[in-house]
Amino acid sequence: MTHQIELSAVNKYYGAYHALKDIDLSIRKGSFVALVGPSGCGKSTLLRSLAGLETISSGDLVIAGKRMNGVPPRKRDLAMVFQSYALYPHMTVEQNLTYSLKINGVGKAERRRAAADVAAITGLSNLLHRYPRELSGGQRQRVAMSRAIIRNPQAFLFDEPLSNLDAALRVHMRKEIRALHDRLGATSVYVTHDQVEAMTMADHVVVMRNGIIEQQGKPLDLYDRPSNRFVAGFIGSPAMNFIPARSTPDGRALVLDLAEPQTIPFDSPLPAERALIVGIRPEHLTLAPADTAGFKVDVGTVETTGAVTFITTATTPEIVIALNGRSVLVTGETIRLTFSGHHVHLFDAGTEQRLT
Amino acid sequence: MKRMFSSITDGRGFDLVLVGVPFTFLLALSGLPLLYNILMSFQEVDMFSLGSVVRPFVGFKNYVDLFTQPETMSILRNTIVFVVGSITGQFIVGFALALFFWINFPGASWLRGLFLVSWVMPGLVVGAIWNWILSGDFGVLNFLLQQTGLMSGNIFWRSDPNFSLWAVILANIWLGTSFNMILLATGLAAIPTDLYEAAEMDGANAWQRFWTITLPMMRSTIGAIIALGLIFTLQQFDLFAAITDGGPNNSSNVAQYWAWDLSFRQYDFGKGATISVIMTVFVMFAATVYVRSTRHEVRG
Repeated sequence: MTHQIELSAVNKYYGAYHALKDIDLSIRKGSFVALVGPSGCGKSTLLRSLAGLETISSGDLVIAGKRMNGVPPRKRDLAMVFQSYALYPHMTVEQNLTYSLKINGVGKAERRRAAADVAAITGLSNLLHRYPRELSGGQRQRVAMSRAIIRNPQAFLFDEPLSNLDAALRVHMRKEIRALHDRLGATSVYVTHDQVEAMTMADHVVVMRNGIIEQQGKPLDLYDRPSNRFVAGFIGSPAMNFIPARSTPDGRALVLDLAEPQTIPFDSPLPAERALIVGIRPEHLTLAPADTAGFKVDVGTVETTGAVTFITTATTPEIVIALNGRSVLVTGETIRLTFSGHHVHLFDAGTEQRLT
Repeated sequence: MKRMFSSITDGRGFDLVLVGVPFTFLLALSGLPLLYNILMSFQEVDMFSLGSVVRPFVGFKNYVDLFTQPETMSILRNTIVFVVGSITGQFIVGFALALFFWINFPGASWLRGLFLVSWVMPGLVVGAIWNWILSGDFGVLNFLLQQTGLMSGNIFWRSDPNFSLWAVILANIWLGTSFNMILLATGLAAIPTDLYEAAEMDGANAWQRFWTITLPMMRSTIGAIIALGLIFTLQQFDLFAAITDGGPNNSSNVAQYWAWDLSFRQYDFGKGATISVIMTVFVMFAATVYVRSTRHEVRG
């Protein structure tokens, strides 16, 4: 496998503030990598370090086989789509698209042709002579994308490019960006705080927090086997339920710490007498048939979208259950819930790391 | 009456009051003097008729007389040299300083604040200081020029007809630079940094970024500052009074100083007013440029 971008032991300090901590990341040629995490996690700093807009304090940054640590952005051959789009307001769409070509001394006729080609792909053909101020948000977004595409760069860097669009357009552009990526065979690094965007668009998701990579891998691997409680809670919507619990001395049951402790048998062996956090996704909780084991909760709120009904319990912590179809449950009712052992994620209560 | 009063209290007439106050103010203190000035340029005015408005009407006689005077053309030429020289100098030095402080090194804002001192100083004080600097015998400027080997003899800046106008231009550049710097610095600060980042990613080096991003984005600021510079240099009076008094032999005389000289030293109020009217035309041109350049501001 050829790696288009490789970071090893990358650190970044702003004065005493340690923004990136020993980042190791390899990005395959042609892959779509999403950097995701809450604000301040370092994902944008990492992207800007790739771009060269920030200089890394230590470590190695290799792009297309060349060490790029001290190389200025203009010599890295990367294209970036900014959150604000950063379109040149004093230039027409065509001039915006061909700016990089002009800087690199490409002739006028060829520039026009390149702009026309890219505009045909992104649907800007009849807007080439407008100014950015005359465009809608979605159109500006397309111009920003086209400006990157026309360069045919080593990699595309996206810095939350969809966050200024309305919800419907965002979902649409998500698909379009991914389709463009596949069509161009490009390598893309995509920063977002929206885990749904990361999950749906990327081949490889990198979850960051406080300047470290918490976990990276294929989207569904992260979903199915989160390596710690943070990743488990961050990936997936609605979020995973976490219930503090303790294993019994024989390791054959869990005592859930709800309002009143409730014991539920567990089919695989557990470490004895250990403080745990039980993680269970809303769709993996089911109503327990009368003759099976389960735990009792009171129904708090019932919300339905038509296809799925979300039930939030009146317990501490709250538990969210996603049931397919519609439900006859009402607030205040007591129900019994159950789950199957292989759907349960167990985390150590102290370190919050996954157990096996 | 009651309706008028209620129109003020209910807020509906309030807008008229808000417009009316400045309008009255402008009319009384700017509009009427302007009209009076135009009227005077078509009249024969002397010390004895100064008090009355109705005076002998002479048509364009003042204008014709003015342009047949031998010194007129050289004074108008001086005015153009003064305006162009001052604005160019102020703009280039001001822009250079604005770019320098834009780097934002430690203490940049303090130092930039100190530059404003030159703008706060009264023109007469500035003139007095520059008199010392420009002095032919012991002036610092001559000393520097000789020590650096740029010239061998003394230049008598203020009394040599070849240099007297430039002496005032030099002082005026110093006086106006900080104003240029502040306005240009504001314009620079208003350019979003991500534009530079985008241009950097697109492969532009610092020089290319300056020509393709900074300058075009500063177009309205530059238009405004040049228009304001034209107005301010056409108003510059104190420096002439302090440094050369328009001399020697009108070699550093400019229209605004000449207008004052004609009106208040030679008591030829008609001709003084005539020069003012001609200058008003130029200033109105500058004002039009200013208004247009601020109206066409580029917004992202």
